Amino acid sequence: MSGDLVRVAVDSERCIGGGQCEMLEPEVFLLDEDEVISSVIGSGELPRPRAEVVAHRCPGAAISIVEPQRPSE
Amino acid sequence: MSASAASAPTLAPEIADPRLYLDGIPHERFAEIRAVPGLAWHPYEDDGFWAVTRHADVRAVSRNPKAFSSAIGHTNLWDLEADALEARRSLIDTDAPDHTRLRRMVAGAFTPKNIRRWEDTVREITVELLDEFLSQGGGDWVDMVAAPLPIRVILSMLGVPVADADYLVELSNYLVEGTSDTQSLPPDAFGNTTELRLLPFNSPASHALFTYGDEMRAKRRAEPCDDLVTHLVKAEADGGRISRHEYRHLFHLLVFAGNETTRTAISHGAMALAANGDQWQRVLDDPGLVEPATEEIIRWATPVLHMRRTAAADCELAGTPIAAGDKVVMWYASANRDEAAYADPFRFDAGRGGNEHFAFGGGGPHLCLGAFLARLEVSVLLQEMAARRMFLEQRGEPVRMASNFVHGVLSVEMAPEAER
Repeated sequence: MSGDLVRVAVDSERCIGGGQCEMLEPEVFLLDEDEVISSVIGSGELPRPRAEVVAHRCPGAAISIVEPQRPSE
Repeated sequence: MSASAASAPTLAPEIADPRLYLDGIPHERFAEIRAVPGLAWHPYEDDGFWAVTRHADVRAVSRNPKAFSSAIGHTNLWDLEADALEARRSLIDTDAPDHTRLRRMVAGAFTPKNIRRWEDTVREITVELLDEFLSQGGGDWVDMVAAPLPIRVILSMLGVPVADADYLVELSNYLVEGTSDTQSLPPDAFGNTTELRLLPFNSPASHALFTYGDEMRAKRRAEPCDDLVTHLVKAEADGGRISRHEYRHLFHLLVFAGNETTRTAISHGAMALAANGDQWQRVLDDPGLVEPATEEIIRWATPVLHMRRTAAADCELAGTPIAAGDKVVMWYASANRDEAAYADPFRFDAGRGGNEHFAFGGGGPHLCLGAFLARLEVSVLLQEMAARRMFLEQRGEPVRMASNFVHGVLSVEMAPEAER
């Protein structure tokens, strides 16, 4: 179902600091100012279609969808 | 490619001759190659390359850096000797993990969040250039607007004196010549003593740009500032997070790529707006169209025409077997006009939706570092032109560069028109 929430993760070895994730989903991704590496903040959950977009746009292919969570209300 | 391949591949029509591009991108030839099932082989010098021309195939190559390497051979059409490849190696010609390390050195300055901080600077420069253009009643758009805007912005970010902008644009033009058949500089220009084959673009202008970067490095070591050169100098000093070689090449790349590409986008953008007054009228009527119009201008312009990768191992693409060591060339110029990816790709549509163009590359780790800066520059330019209700009228044909690598425009006469 399109409303499913999924959890996202960042592979810090692959992150090139492009900042696309932070721009698209500022509630979920934060780029470290010094290291320029993205990490997941907060719940790390997104509706599946948005998670797929941010994973697709990541230039380093560093973002993955790790596990399906509960369906949204 | 192995000469003993069981079935000979289709041969692509000539698309590598730089002189073809004096009349613009040979779109009909690219359309012919896109229609070939699988990949077409393009003879080049004593070897050749696979011409990757479809949107989906460019994406597949671009997003698979393990299979399609940037570090082997060269990222231009011709191979370099091993020593030249090392001497010329930059962020462009590296794979992970070197690429990841170097990219992060400069990535912080170019994130969407940090680029937004430059909006006021971009606007200030844009307003000055547009008002001068208007007060002169027009002129060479490249010289008056398209070239000075991006170079002044990137120099401001680097901390390089903007007074040197014209000199650095001149060097950039000489560098581009290195991708064509014409080199107007003697090998010893700018006091160069390095063999040309060891210099980026085979150009003595690279020596001049390295020298300039070395001088900036010395200045910022003596007197650090809050700028990108200081950041790189500190990274070099601080436990050698980058080497001296890497500093020189990053400086070279930031100056060159930070001005030449957006200049091209703004030049082709102006021509597109002049030729499609109805589309510009849409933007004037609806400021919400600045964003899609910016993307459309960048797609339309495709400032970098291709990048090459080299197969790291035997593999397959679009059903065509590729041998380890084969050159695989992604033609962004073609992917951005692929009928399978765009409705009516040869129409300039200021409101085009779902515009996943490959003018910044086809995705993957080498995605254009300056993508958000380029978008900011083009969108501020459109906003300020709209604020002045300014239409452009093109006077005569542009003077194009003879290059199969950059879609360069040397000059194009434009006159401002009051609202139609």
